[in-house]
Amino acid sequence: MIQKNLLFEEMKKAAINGERDLVKKYIQEGLDQNYTALEIIESLVPAMDVVGNKFASGEFYLPQMMIAARAMSEGIEMLKPLLLPGQTITKAKAIFGTVKGDYHDIGKNIVKIILESGGYEVIDLGVDVAPERFVEASKKEKPRFVLMSALLTLTMPMMDKTIKALGEAGIRDAVKIGVGGAPVTQKFADHIGADFYADDAPGALKKCNGLL
Amino acid sequence: MKEMTPRERVMTALRGGIPDRVPWGEAAVDWKLQVRLMEGRVDFKPAEFCRKMGMSCLTNLVTIEHKRDGSEAPHRQAVRVFDFTPPWIAEMAVDDYSGRRFVRKGLLTTRDSLKLFDSFLPDPDDPASYEDAARMLDESQEDFAVFARLRAGSASMLVSMGIDQFAYNVFDQPDFVKEAHRRFSEWSARVVEHLNKLNFDFYWVFDDLADTHGPWMDMTIYHEFFQPYQKMVADAIKKPWIFHSDGNILPILDGILTLGMDGIHSIQPSAMDINEVKRKYGEKICIIGNIDLDYTLTQGTPEEVDQEVKERINYVGRNGGYIISSANSLTEYCKTENVWAMAEAIKKYGKYPLTSVP
Repeated sequence: MIQKNLLFEEMKKAAINGERDLVKKYIQEGLDQNYTALEIIESLVPAMDVVGNKFASGEFYLPQMMIAARAMSEGIEMLKPLLLPGQTITKAKAIFGTVKGDYHDIGKNIVKIILESGGYEVIDLGVDVAPERFVEASKKEKPRFVLMSALLTLTMPMMDKTIKALGEAGIRDAVKIGVGGAPVTQKFADHIGADFYADDAPGALKKCNGLL
Repeated sequence: MKEMTPRERVMTALRGGIPDRVPWGEAAVDWKLQVRLMEGRVDFKPAEFCRKMGMSCLTNLVTIEHKRDGSEAPHRQAVRVFDFTPPWIAEMAVDDYSGRRFVRKGLLTTRDSLKLFDSFLPDPDDPASYEDAARMLDESQEDFAVFARLRAGSASMLVSMGIDQFAYNVFDQPDFVKEAHRRFSEWSARVVEHLNKLNFDFYWVFDDLADTHGPWMDMTIYHEFFQPYQKMVADAIKKPWIFHSDGNILPILDGILTLGMDGIHSIQPSAMDINEVKRKYGEKICIIGNIDLDYTLTQGTPEEVDQEVKERINYVGRNGGYIISSANSLTEYCKTENVWAMAEAIKKYGKYPLTSVP
């Protein structure tokens, strides 16, 4: 029998390396040793911070980051049904979309995967999402975060319009708004009154974690 | 120095030399912007547009006149006659407002989906594919440098697979990734063999490999999954060529340069420092870019455009080997006055020897 700390450390290492079968094997060992699903998840989730740091430093690139996120997500999915009533592992809910007039979704999809692997529930609104759809989804889903992506300078003003629409609907202060995408900058985010800007997927995860 | 033709200017810069002026070349100019720059006219030839703007590379976007069904009035349609990029193997959708087509979903999902190559990619040996281009090249291009647009297979594979699926497949189905890339590259190489016989001056090869953070692969993955197939196209090319990628390609640039291109585009300012690129690579390769599209050309003032053009020419244009360009292409949403400011500034500061260099 592997000691708890060692088992969890090996599981985390496997997740960082994207070895999903190994992650599941360690999870099963943990369960066999009567550790709860919640404590296994809580030891697994911080692996994504390590992955984020490796991505930021240039040690990891997209493929390594994505398989690590997948290993994390599959591990979490394996454990979810075993949580006790009242236990939740979802840190928060986010709605996410590429703004109206913009059809780029590569960045959005990557951020979504990373957020999910980091413990968030992400409602993907897709591309070309009009301000009123963000408002409608915010009312329905009651998310903690409203996240917007844009790849074109042309469509960046839609972020501003969406924030204003959320304000007019009286729900601006109920959510934290994050923006990102190639032409978007911190300066622009400040200008339109977004709560945060992130320049890559791990950055978005870090910013969301910091606002919980 | 004797005044050069626009073509001589571009070809000199591509060889790393010093032309009489810094040439201006755009990978594409959106049709609606072209019409605004031509003060509402739609009946101009590409060479007339280039002459008016002071551009040296002939834009590939031209119009053809045809009659719509049931209508006597001729209709002008913007088409990319010199575009030889393969179609995406993807489910496409159309934006109702702009009419722009976009990829909804890549269809290369499993090895079995490789059969889609047969139905999606046209026959590269069909002579009809090259007739319009050959005819247009025979018309007078007024000594502008004319280029054809190509891919080396990478963007085709990434978009047709989906970038997230690519990331998984590198580990799950590496042979599938390689085979998809190989097939796209093989198609492009075959196209290039036909284009080599036409009077293009150079090729512009578009293969996005990165976003602003960095490349979508490390050097090891680049060398295993990309370079050998891109090389198939590079080896087929018998003319000078420019490689384009958006984003920050610095971590794999040494690998990309093994393909032997003459120029590198677009050095996106939010992703790469063009001065660093000039310092490290300026002796080896022509640099094309990087007037900012995220802010300066689209949101800035003509004065800011003037300043940025001056700075680029002063530093990157020093010792030649520089073709000034926007950091991607001139999009519809560039401010018209800023594009004019760019044209004026290039005229003002771009003459060799560079008098504005401190």
